[in-house]
Amino acid sequence: MPAKVLLELKNVTIKFGGLTAVSDLSFKLFEGEIVGLIGPNGAGKTTVFNLISGVYRPTEGEIYLNGENITGLKPFQICHRGIGRTFQVVRPFGGKSVLYNVMVGAFLRTNDTRKSREKALEVLQLVGLYNKKDVLAKNLTIVDRKRLEVAKALATEPKLLLLDEVLAGLNPAEVDEAVEMIRQIHKSGITILLIEHVLKAAMALSQRIMVLDYGKKIAEGSPEEVTSNPEVIKAYLGDNYGIA
Amino acid sequence: MRNFITPRYYLPALMIFILLLIPLFISSPYILHIMAMVLFWAYLASAWNIVGGFAGQLSLGHGVYVAAGAYVSSLLFANIGLSPWFGMIIGGLVAALLGVIVGYPTLRLRGAYYALATVGFAEGFRVILINTTKIGSWHTGGAEGFLVPLLGDAPQHMQFMSKVPYYYLALVLLLIIVGFSFWLDRSKLGYYLTAIREDEDAALALGINTARAKLIAAALSAFFTGVGGVYYAQLIRYLEPNAIAGAIMSNQIVFLAIVGGRGTVLGPVIGGIFLTIIGEMTRILFDQVMGLHLFLYGIIVVLFVIFKPRGLIELVEKPYEKLVKMLNGRRVEGAS
Amino acid sequence: MGVLSSIINGILMGGVYGLLAMGLTLIFGIMKIINFAHGAFLMVAMILSYWLWKIMGLDPYLSIIIIAPLMFLLGYLTQRFTIKPVLDAEKDVREPIGALLLTAGLAVAIENFILMVFGADYLMAKTAYSGASINISSLSISVPRLYAFVTSLVVAFLFYQFLIKTELGRAMRATGQDRGVALLMGINVSKVYSIAFGIGTALAGLAGIVLIPFYYAHPSVGAVFITKAFIIVVLGGLGSVHGALVGGLIIGLIESVAAQYMTATWTAILIYFAFLAFLLLKPSGLFGSRYEW
Repeated sequence: MPAKVLLELKNVTIKFGGLTAVSDLSFKLFEGEIVGLIGPNGAGKTTVFNLISGVYRPTEGEIYLNGENITGLKPFQICHRGIGRTFQVVRPFGGKSVLYNVMVGAFLRTNDTRKSREKALEVLQLVGLYNKKDVLAKNLTIVDRKRLEVAKALATEPKLLLLDEVLAGLNPAEVDEAVEMIRQIHKSGITILLIEHVLKAAMALSQRIMVLDYGKKIAEGSPEEVTSNPEVIKAYLGDNYGIA
Repeated sequence: MRNFITPRYYLPALMIFILLLIPLFISSPYILHIMAMVLFWAYLASAWNIVGGFAGQLSLGHGVYVAAGAYVSSLLFANIGLSPWFGMIIGGLVAALLGVIVGYPTLRLRGAYYALATVGFAEGFRVILINTTKIGSWHTGGAEGFLVPLLGDAPQHMQFMSKVPYYYLALVLLLIIVGFSFWLDRSKLGYYLTAIREDEDAALALGINTARAKLIAAALSAFFTGVGGVYYAQLIRYLEPNAIAGAIMSNQIVFLAIVGGRGTVLGPVIGGIFLTIIGEMTRILFDQVMGLHLFLYGIIVVLFVIFKPRGLIELVEKPYEKLVKMLNGRRVEGAS
Repeated sequence: MGVLSSIINGILMGGVYGLLAMGLTLIFGIMKIINFAHGAFLMVAMILSYWLWKIMGLDPYLSIIIIAPLMFLLGYLTQRFTIKPVLDAEKDVREPIGALLLTAGLAVAIENFILMVFGADYLMAKTAYSGASINISSLSISVPRLYAFVTSLVVAFLFYQFLIKTELGRAMRATGQDRGVALLMGINVSKVYSIAFGIGTALAGLAGIVLIPFYYAHPSVGAVFITKAFIIVVLGGLGSVHGALVGGLIIGLIESVAAQYMTATWTAILIYFAFLAFLLLKPSGLFGSRYEW
């Protein structure tokens, strides 16, 4: 039985002034997938996230979630419909405790403070921040800030989670831990689209990889297929790769 | 039952009890009037705190809502004899409407721009108030101000010859707003407003309809402030546009909340009580020196912003927690 | 007074507004702080200038030599010892408003300090030229306003040259554009802030001095002017120096033209509406660069 399409982008283009940041991008995400979105700096990866999560409205094209057209909806409406996201530059509510931060997310699905706390504690267990629940968010280490970022998004009970470089800036041991955490999240039934600079981790995690360059999708396939694609090698290493 | 005999419950109860008893020991109407004003300012600061503290929107124009409540209720009272008790609801609702009218177009303004916009609204409103002498056939007094008709002892019209009822009324208002703040602090709305204050974009990404939350906060804050205006009108019985809608009123409300600790439940209350008492004391002690009490006021605000930006609450919280612990400890020992 | 005369006199006044607003917009452009004490500083300079004239017979324009450096120093020290600690403490806050509140508190303290020391009297330096006017056929132009206007323009020109031509001016503009990059470039940001605040305060002081020969000073006169300055800087674009001057002239013009057709108060209401319209629809103003709002 073919898997259900969860998210679909149809010919999505966005221009900022004269610059086309994302050009005619189409792809499908199937329920239960874990897909990597990679590409060199400035390829438009984060812009794709901003389009999906409603921060930007596409100049052309449509975005569908579960068959519903969500193009042009506001970020909070899209979050309501089941897409959670993290920010590349983490954005904790710094003056508040870790638990408070996550409860803000959990309140999306309940009006009850007690239920929100329960949900938040559950999520904190999952991401491994339970013991730091009373620490002020601004006093967390980088790793923990990234965990918190994921926890906040998870607390909104998303069907699809957009992870924007959650592994960047972590040391190898921490990367392994975070990879394990993402696997756990995926196992709990959440579809994941992730942007990653740490290619090895992205390859290890993703069932499928899409490569973006100058706002265009230049390759798509299994990690092995993508890494052997000459276009991808060119995009990452430049035209002079063969000569050097 | 036992759970209620902990310091967490009986200490606040004790404080309220003391506040209730005060009029029994003070007979001077002057002092009672000041005490009523102290509670009233604490109330206004708490009302401002909903939008200025929790939601972090620095409104420098809350005088507008005080004036709206005061004028609406007083005009209805003077012209069609509507009791200010009902006026409280109508005045509050008109103020809430104004809050939304100011809040809607300023939704996307942040920080300094929002503050400037509120100053612009308030100044525009004040100028209109000064230059309107009549609304239809109802006289508003314009720049000369508006005298609220005095009926003598008329409880049904919120008028009393004694200051005691005014004191209790201020206390009731204060307890209501503190109760509300206490609820807000633990509610979904409170979490949402705090999230908006800390990072609006991140709040949006967590599914928060930030525009709606901010408008609700603006309406609630303006409503309570407007209700305060109705009370003020009956206590002072003279509405002067510059005093009630001007920068002095608007800034004072903000200063009280800041010095006490904005964004906390009790900070604005503590700030309101502390600063108003200091202000009144300097006014009494240095009556002949014009400007001294406001000078001190300004200096205190400056010192707090520099050295205790989180407000007096920071200084009060720890000793209070210690006291609670101490009393708790003693109780446990006694029980064993 | 004819229509043309009053329009000209309005524009002359607008020059002074522009000078005042320039100081405000400079401070905002570089430090991202709205200085609510700006009007109070203007008032201080007015009062000082008056008393120097009253006691020593010093012409207000001569008192510039004494008062302008004093105001610079006042501003410099204010930033160094009150605003700096607040900014340092608020580094990680996204919407730092502590500094704004601080200046509001300072305004109250300064106004009431002056009230305590000098009283609440209305003071004006009635110099020989205070009541003078130049009459060309039916035109009547107020001499003190003309002096004020010319001085404002000269100061504005010099200030602009300073910002563009000097090393310090460039460092200041760089700091305004990106504090982080300025730091990397080796600019002493804190010192630049102090100098910017000093210059901004001196500009407010100059505006006060040129006003005193024809405008009554009292402790709360600053409130009148700061509200206008707010309107002007938003109109011209917060942070835009030439925008402030143009904005000042526009407000001066509107005030005088509108005064021909309606009462001063309706003019004020009209201006507030225009102000709000700008703030809400085009917060970057006429000349503003696109700062975050």
